[in-house]
Amino acid sequence: MLLALSEIRRGKLRFGLLTGAVGLLVFLILFLQTLTGALLGFFTGALEHQSAQILVYGEDARRNPESSRVTVETVDAVAQVDGVATAAAFSENTLSVDAGGADLFDTTIFGYELDGPGEPTTLSQGRLPRADGEAVASAIDAGSGFGLGDVVTVVPGKQELTIVGLADDLRFSVQPTLFVSYETFERTVLATNPDAQAVLPSMVAVRVDAGVETAAVANEITDRVEGVDAVTREGAVSSLPGVSAVRSSFQVLLFLAGFVVLLVTGIFFSILTVQKTQALTLLRAVGASAGYLLRNLLLQVLLVTLGGIGVAAGLLALAASVSTPDFPIDADPGLILATGSATLVLALAASIASIRRVRRLDPAGATTRMAGGGLA
Amino acid sequence: MRLAWKELIRRPARFLSTGGALTLIVVLLLLLGGLLDGLTLSATGAYGAQTADLLVYTDEANGSLFRSRIDPDVRAQLEDVEGVHTVSGIGAVLLPARIAGSPDPTDVAVFGYEAPNAQVPAPPAGGEAYVDRTLADAGLALGEIFAVGPAAVELRAKDWVDDTSFLAQAGVWADGATWREVLAANRPDAVLPDGTWQALLVEAEGDVDAGELASRIEAATPGLDPQTRAQAILGLPGVEAQQGTFTNIIVMTFVIAGLVVALFFALLTLERVGLFGVLKAIGTSSRTLAGGLVVQAVAIAVGAFVVGGLVTIGLTPVVPPDVPIELVPRRAIVTALGLVVTALIGSAVSFRRIVRIDPASAVGGS
Repeated sequence: MLLALSEIRRGKLRFGLLTGAVGLLVFLILFLQTLTGALLGFFTGALEHQSAQILVYGEDARRNPESSRVTVETVDAVAQVDGVATAAAFSENTLSVDAGGADLFDTTIFGYELDGPGEPTTLSQGRLPRADGEAVASAIDAGSGFGLGDVVTVVPGKQELTIVGLADDLRFSVQPTLFVSYETFERTVLATNPDAQAVLPSMVAVRVDAGVETAAVANEITDRVEGVDAVTREGAVSSLPGVSAVRSSFQVLLFLAGFVVLLVTGIFFSILTVQKTQALTLLRAVGASAGYLLRNLLLQVLLVTLGGIGVAAGLLALAASVSTPDFPIDADPGLILATGSATLVLALAASIASIRRVRRLDPAGATTRMAGGGLA
Repeated sequence: MRLAWKELIRRPARFLSTGGALTLIVVLLLLLGGLLDGLTLSATGAYGAQTADLLVYTDEANGSLFRSRIDPDVRAQLEDVEGVHTVSGIGAVLLPARIAGSPDPTDVAVFGYEAPNAQVPAPPAGGEAYVDRTLADAGLALGEIFAVGPAAVELRAKDWVDDTSFLAQAGVWADGATWREVLAANRPDAVLPDGTWQALLVEAEGDVDAGELASRIEAATPGLDPQTRAQAILGLPGVEAQQGTFTNIIVMTFVIAGLVVALFFALLTLERVGLFGVLKAIGTSSRTLAGGLVVQAVAIAVGAFVVGGLVTIGLTPVVPPDVPIELVPRRAIVTALGLVVTALIGSAVSFRRIVRIDPASAVGGS
């Protein structure tokens, strides 16, 4: 084993470069995964963490809350479907909010019937709204003027909202998010446009009876109520615009980055083994077993990969420490462990060509060489 | 230099590994760049098409077209500002559209507008619309009637326009009256009266600077937020964050490319230490040898770019349809230049070893 370590000590530059390259590639993979998770969470949090088990969209809305509008009659019709325990209007809009700072915030506001379906489920501080003019805010934005007890103003219209609760993972469309009573929502939206004629609900929020299958009720609503598309909460989250595009895009990039790790590691150790063929043959001739040489090779692969994973973990921790509160990057040990393990498997798979070459070395070949070779 | 070329030509297999790894990195870089350009173009095409110097919102809109409204009296004040040449109104609403023969609805951004821009001619007659060519993929044909919004307001597709998408939805361009009709029927909370627009497009007179004109407008008409086209594009939801994030990832990928080049040229140099010793012994300078290395690195980078580019073009049709990749020449040029510079820097890592090779080693070397 000392042979492997000695070679690394004497070839600091090339082993250092490989470790650096693997480290950056693993960091790229970790960063892309972290970014995907955070982005998707910020895109979808509000829908994922509200109490309605089914969301009912207008049939042409392509399950996009911004595009969807339903009528009050639709809300009543949904409530009549078998298996529906409660159905209520549920609306979403993006408005400019003055949270006391120099700039206005683009803020997503959800309106729901108090104590009805659609209320936030991840309350971490304070309480849910009990009256008009009260709001629960996404906890991550507390430091931006959306803290407990803060009063924010929706402009134009000058509607004031008091933050009475904070909920985790509640952002929507990567913006600060507020949940208010349906009446507050209607009043606020009407105030922003003096020519507005009415505020139609974006969706219908549904809770199902105990013991019934949610997906079956969703299908029943779509079949029985004209002009709607009902979907379970999970389905609504994965159908949001951009979610599948973000997921697919990052999957393509992750696959490519993983393939580059495989190629770089594999080629490096192949070249190194070819360059050392004479020295390795000589070692075999003087009694070193193939197993001994293989163990040295695998130790080097292991050390380089672990070094790379260490570099990547360090870079991710650095990125986490300098990330901003409104877009936090988390150095998740579980993710590092899982990605590191996968990288290790990839690196070992990549060294198969080198392993085969070492196994095929013929000690007798040393007698046909002018010199033993070896690396300077 | 000739020696370096000859080695590349006669022993290409020696450089295949470096080239292969770099080719994959090129594919990664081009896909990342293509993704960024696709996302940006699909979100900002309609703004990119504008020829006006300024896009003016109300300041309470915080840079959002949908939350802005400018009444005729404010427009009149704006028109009187010194340096303003022309003012025209614009507004948009995001809606689903039903196209005959297509089983699923398609998302569109219906614009109402007064003046032509780089991509869209002057407003069509009432009930007609210029439509983004991407709607052809959804089955729309010219002259065909399609219905927008839950209220199914009918519009006739007059002609195609290119690159006018907005917030990832295909642009549909109608005159003001038709747009207001669409708005009133589908979004009763967003109705605007005649003469009121969400935003105004301002062209400056002669050589008046856009930034200077914006300052004059701010001073003369408090409550308005004039933005240059570039500012308006960056102000669209997610655009700036998207560009920052992707640019960081692309820069990191270039660094990885540099490390890979440095790594493989370190190995190649090591392999040729004896040969370089002999060359030095017969009078070849370190500079010439380093120059040869640079030639090889650049040639490999260029080769990897060409092959990687072809692979990327070949891969694009099989990328999932919901991944909005857009390959644009400017991105390819930037990637090629970046790769060459990276290869140069990466190959420079081996210069020190070349300089340290002792010509005398040629005599005693094995």
